[in-house]
Amino acid sequence: MVDAATTHAIEYTINGERQQATVPARRLLVHHIRDTLGMKGTHIGCDTGSCGACSVIVDGRLVKSCMMLAAQADGTAIETVEGLAPDGALTPLQQAFNEQHGLQCGYCTPGLLMAASFLLRRNPNPSEAEIRRAIRGNICRCTGYVNIVRSIEAAAGPAASERAA
Amino acid sequence: MLLESVEYARPDTVEQALTLLSQREGAAPLAGGQSLVNVLKHRVASVELLVDISRIDELRRIEARSDGGLEIGACVTYDELDGSDAVRASHPLLADVAGHIEDQQIRDRGTIGGNCCLSDPTNNLPPLLVALDATMNIRSRSGGVRQVAAEDFFHGYFSTAVGEGELLCSITVPPLPSPGGAGYSTVSLGADSKALARAAALVRGNGVIEDARVVLACFSAAPMRHHGMEAALRGAPATAEAVAAAAAGIGDGLDPPGDVHASTDYRRALAPVVARRAVCQAIGNGGDERG
Repeated sequence: MVDAATTHAIEYTINGERQQATVPARRLLVHHIRDTLGMKGTHIGCDTGSCGACSVIVDGRLVKSCMMLAAQADGTAIETVEGLAPDGALTPLQQAFNEQHGLQCGYCTPGLLMAASFLLRRNPNPSEAEIRRAIRGNICRCTGYVNIVRSIEAAAGPAASERAA
Repeated sequence: MLLESVEYARPDTVEQALTLLSQREGAAPLAGGQSLVNVLKHRVASVELLVDISRIDELRRIEARSDGGLEIGACVTYDELDGSDAVRASHPLLADVAGHIEDQQIRDRGTIGGNCCLSDPTNNLPPLLVALDATMNIRSRSGGVRQVAAEDFFHGYFSTAVGEGELLCSITVPPLPSPGGAGYSTVSLGADSKALARAAALVRGNGVIEDARVVLACFSAAPMRHHGMEAALRGAPATAEAVAAAAAGIGDGLDPPGDVHASTDYRRALAPVVARRAVCQAIGNGGDERG
């Protein structure tokens, strides 16, 4: 990609599956995921990088997919909310969101699941303060944060280990 | 949102990036994109070619220098600064400040070079780098590195010493004074949010302040040293009372902007508060308490 162009051939994996595509340079990653791949789990809330609904994990890092070009995803490994439970069995985190009522309208949920998944990989036993800091970039307009934090707490540390047992 | 049609290139080396940036009018470097992508969405700036420098190895390194300082590549992210053992060892405050920029998603993409080159007066890193007396290493295609003191780098709103066809490649941070320390204080809208007033400080001395750099941000278009407070601190005892005396009234001579979040008078009132807190943190970090 040393040469400048308005379209680029890119290659990446998404939820472990290898993909190739030709993308306009101006295409945002979130539009590529939703409109080209048809994976609608990744939501667009604000389109200005403020709400976190479009959060995905790229090469192990949590990013807002509306703040990145699809061309920049070339060569990366992308994880979206669809990849959390590929065989339909909910992860402990998803199960906890269900049990603790960690969602109201559900619009912010995919982004919060990705942010919380990122947190629990980095810090399997976070404090409440660490959880709140980790979801600082994800806005829930139903303001259901108490149950969201409770859900992540329920999925963390010993609770998660017991659940897995 | 749909961006205007734009070209994109991802060079592998700084030389290739400089060639692209210098050959094409309307070419702009793209690092973490956490501001530039929004600028493109809102079409407030016209860019014809995005030169993606975010994966150039040379710009992604953190080097601990033998003198106790750091050389930090322009495309090191905030999260990488926060998590770097080298940065934590020599300049823990820099790691802490980077670790409290906005949110995890922004810290995973946003870069130290982008934070500086955007030159938004509310940005976190510029006042700290001025206080730390960092050097900005700028390269151009015609060769050589142009070194600019951080103090002279920030020209104003969205304007820096980086000229057409040039690229900020790294930032050299000298070792902290010994004895001495650094401090930082912000009053913001919410946790880790947009700053209303900010100060950074560097103090040399133990028991008595031998020298101090006090930098205010959000009070003008670029971070500014407050030479009057620095002079008042020189030779003063490293005590909270002496720092408060040196900070008293420093807002009176300032003409900060007023906006919906903070009036001009409110910002004037905040100046001594953030300056005092930053200097007190700096002396607490070694100015008068180290054995």
